[in-house]
Amino acid sequence: MDYLIFSFSLMLVYIGLAQLLHIQFGLAGIPNFGVVGFWGIGLYGTGVLYVVFGVALLPAILIASALSAIIGYLLALLVLQRSGQAILAATLALSAIIATLVVSEKDLTGGVQGLGTIKFPFGDMANRNFVFMIFILVVVLALVWVSARLRDSRMGRQLVAIRDNEELAASLGKNTAATKRWVFAITCGGMGILGGMSAPLHQFLVPYQLAPSITFAVWIALVLGGKGHNLGAIVGTFVTFGLFDILIETYAPVPAEQAILLPNFKLFCYGVLLVVIIMFRPIGLLGTDGPKVRQPAAKGAET
Amino acid sequence: MLILDAIFIGLLEASPLILAAMGFTLIYYLNGFMNIAYAESITFGAYFAILFNVVLGANFYMAIVPSMLCSGALSVAVYLLIFRPALNRGVGPTEMIILSVGVSFMLRYGLILVVGPENLFLNEPNITYLQFLGIGATNLQLIALALVLLTAGILYWMIYNTGLGEQMRGLANNRELAMASGINPHRTSVAIWFIAGCAGGLSGIFTGVFAQVAPYMGWNVILITMLVTIVAGVGSVRGAVVAAVVAGILTAFITLVTKPLYAEVVLLTAFIGVLTIRGARTA
Repeated sequence: MDYLIFSFSLMLVYIGLAQLLHIQFGLAGIPNFGVVGFWGIGLYGTGVLYVVFGVALLPAILIASALSAIIGYLLALLVLQRSGQAILAATLALSAIIATLVVSEKDLTGGVQGLGTIKFPFGDMANRNFVFMIFILVVVLALVWVSARLRDSRMGRQLVAIRDNEELAASLGKNTAATKRWVFAITCGGMGILGGMSAPLHQFLVPYQLAPSITFAVWIALVLGGKGHNLGAIVGTFVTFGLFDILIETYAPVPAEQAILLPNFKLFCYGVLLVVIIMFRPIGLLGTDGPKVRQPAAKGAET
Repeated sequence: MLILDAIFIGLLEASPLILAAMGFTLIYYLNGFMNIAYAESITFGAYFAILFNVVLGANFYMAIVPSMLCSGALSVAVYLLIFRPALNRGVGPTEMIILSVGVSFMLRYGLILVVGPENLFLNEPNITYLQFLGIGATNLQLIALALVLLTAGILYWMIYNTGLGEQMRGLANNRELAMASGINPHRTSVAIWFIAGCAGGLSGIFTGVFAQVAPYMGWNVILITMLVTIVAGVGSVRGAVVAAVVAGILTAFITLVTKPLYAEVVLLTAFIGVLTIRGARTA
C-alpha cells in the first residue's frame, strides 16, 4: 500500500511538471528541455536546506522554489529571445550543470553518497504519506485550474500570440520579451515546488535522480496527451507513467530474470509511442482546445 | 608545459567529438533540425565494432571499416523509414527534435533489450607507449588521432570541393532552386545521412576503444555535440571542427588545473554564454 501511495504521489508530480510544460511549450512555445534541472533545484535545494541547515520542510520548499524561479529568470534573460533550438540546448545544458554541481559540491549535497533523510511533514500522524499525497493532489489540481484559467485570460492569449507570431504580437504593443521571461520564471518556480515536494517522497536524495530521463518522460507524456490541450498532461501521464510504472510494474506477472529488463522495455515503448504519435497525430491524443469564445464565422471564410 | 599538455590531451579527447560534430552538423544543415538520434549512430558504431571484433574475431583495425559502413547504413535506414516521411508530412523543427528523441529511445532501449545493459570491451591490438618531447601517448591514440584527422580532412574536402557538397549546400539553402537545377534531393539526402552515420560510427568506435562500449555512450556526448554545433553556426563544418577542438582543449586545460567535474560546468556555462551573444546563427 505504501508503495502504491508513493507511485501515485510521484505520478501527481509528473502530472504537475507536464502541466507546467504545457504552459511553457503548449501556450508560450518555449521548448524547455531542462525540466529536470528546475525540478532538481527544488529537490536538492529543499534537501540541503532541510538536512544541512535545519530549515523546516515547507519554508525550505518555498525558498528552494524561489531559487528555481530566479535561476529560470536569469536563464530567460540570457537565451529566451534566441531561436527555439538554442533555448532547447541551453535549458538542456542547465540541467546538466545542475546534475554535475550536485555531484561535485559534496560538502552540501553529500555527492554520490546521497543526502538524507527528509521526513514527511505533519509529525507523527499515522497515514502521513497518504495525507502528503492529498496535499500534492491539491497543489496539482490548483495548477491545472490555474493553467485552464490562464489560457482564457488576456495573458494566455498574449502567450498564444507570441507563440504563433512574436513579431506581430510585439508590433501590437505587447512587451513580449518580458511576458515570456516572467511566465518562464514562474513556471520554473512551479517545477521547483514540485521538486521540493518530491524530496520527502524520495526521502534519500542521490544525484542519479537528476538524470535527464525525467525531462523526457514529461515531454513524452505531454506530447502524447496533447501539448495544446489543458488536460493533455493528465491523460499523457496516465497513459505513460500510470500504465507502465504503476499497472505493469506492480501487477504484470513477469518472471524475475526478465524484470530487470522491464524499465528498458518501458522506455523502448515510450520511444515507439512518441514516433507513432508525431507521425500520425502530432497534436496528441486530445488535440487542441482553443479559448472558449464563440466567434461568428466571417463571411466567405474558408472552412 | 601545462599548455602543451592541455593542447595534446585536448586534441586526443576532441578527436571523436570532431567527427561527431561534423556528422551532426551535416544533418542539421541539410534538414534543418537537431537529430538527437544521432547519438545512436555513435553507440551503434561501437556495437558493430564489438560484433566484428569480439564476436566474429576480426582484428581491431580490420573491424573499423565494416562497422563504420554498418552505422552509415543504419543512419540511412532511419532516415528513409522515419525522418523522411516525417519531413514530408511537414513536421516542424521542434517536433522533429522530439521525434528524434523518440527514435533515439527506440534504438537505444531496443539495443539494450537485445544485447543487454552490460558494458563491453573491444579487443585492443597490442599497445606500446611512446614518448616524444616529454609527452606520452600510446600508439593506438596516435593512430586514432591520425585516422580522425584524415577522415575529418576527407569530409571537409568533400563538403567544400566536390559536387556532392555543392548539391548539399544548394539543397540546404534553397530547396526549390536546387531541385529546379536538376539536383536529385533524394539521392543527395541519402548520401549525406550515410556519410554522417559513418562519421558518427567512427567516433563511437574510438570512444569505445579508449574506454568501454556502453548503451549510453552516444547519449553522453550528444549534448556537447549539440552545443558545439550550435555555437559553430548551423551548417558550418569548419566552425564545428574549430569549436570541437576548442572545447576539447578547454576541457583538458580545466581538468589539469582543477577538478574534472568543474571542467564540464565551465564548458556548459561558456556555451550558454556564447548562445546568448551569438544565438543560433544560421550559416
